[in-house]
Amino acid sequence: MDIAELKVELEKLHSASFGWALSCCGRDRAEAEEVLQTVYLKIFEGKARFLGEANLKTWLFAVIRNTAISEHRRSLLRRLRLTADREPTGEQASLYEAPTESFERSETQEQFRAALKSLPARQREALHLVFYEDLSLREAAEVMRVSIGSVRQHYERGKKRLRETLGQTDIAYGINWRAKENPGAV
Amino acid sequence: MELIGEQKKTQALFSELRLADEQTTPRFAAVWNRAQARSSRTWRPARAFNVSFAAATALLICALVSLALWSKFSPRSPQQSTMVVTGTATPAAGPVQIIKDTAVNPTPSGERRDRAGSISRAKRLAAKRHALLLAINLKAASEAKAISTWQSPTSALLKSQNDELLKSLPQLNEGAEELESFLTNTPK
Repeated sequence: MDIAELKVELEKLHSASFGWALSCCGRDRAEAEEVLQTVYLKIFEGKARFLGEANLKTWLFAVIRNTAISEHRRSLLRRLRLTADREPTGEQASLYEAPTESFERSETQEQFRAALKSLPARQREALHLVFYEDLSLREAAEVMRVSIGSVRQHYERGKKRLRETLGQTDIAYGINWRAKENPGAV
Repeated sequence: MELIGEQKKTQALFSELRLADEQTTPRFAAVWNRAQARSSRTWRPARAFNVSFAAATALLICALVSLALWSKFSPRSPQQSTMVVTGTATPAAGPVQIIKDTAVNPTPSGERRDRAGSISRAKRLAAKRHALLLAINLKAASEAKAISTWQSPTSALLKSQNDELLKSLPQLNEGAEELESFLTNTPK
């Protein structure tokens, strides 16, 4: 597949890729954009090559995941250097906050995002790939570079934990949902 | 039943999240173009490195060539010139002959140098070396001659009247009378 063809395919997957990058970067929009840019750069320079062994989507998502991990490590080092150079101030925290954080969101979504953030990375990834990206467990395993059994375990545990977290927060997802699904349980 | 409902709710929440994300997704072209721009930016240092590497290599080559030329054409000191001494080195046996100086003889490398345009310089050097060699040879020859005719300053003190007697030996086949005459001081 030459670069022009790949570009067309990448454009089709762009939205999903950005969503996955967001998930990999802990919902940090700026970091996700940076990661996606780096991924495109890797593809453009031939550092990441699609050899047709797997599905393009799973291959791309695997590249995004790896890039996000390495970028995260780099940014951690950068932050460590910065904190070593100057003392942390209250203003710095607002710098890392993405502009979209100020977006008006529904309370449910806010709680849901918070619950997702509280999940371990593997569980969050498994849930995201299955529910958000509509991938099968096998495809999720390919992206995460783990066995299908491992993905299934992360997926089940993630679901359970998410349910518990949202139940504790007593949001719509908790009381209202239970009331709707199983009125007798409340 | 409850689990299926939960699944659906989770699905719904993720769908809502996806819709929200799609609204804020940056345009593909913008991200792609920025990646391309970054690509050209990241290539620049590599080119700079190549240029600096080439410059450093060129400098090194120049230094090596100049060093080689300097070592080739720089005049050597007389001690450094290789000399081969033939014949016996003892002064009494005869004059010492210093025959060869490898640096003086015209060699193929010397001819190459002539071709290279440094004929006069090479000739001058050769003449200088030849003259030096001649001087050394003459000095060695005169020294050898002086040593062969050398006499001790105290040799005159060793001379006496009976030198001839001491130096000569009696012949054993001579007669007793002659022996007696030889031994003049023996008591009779």
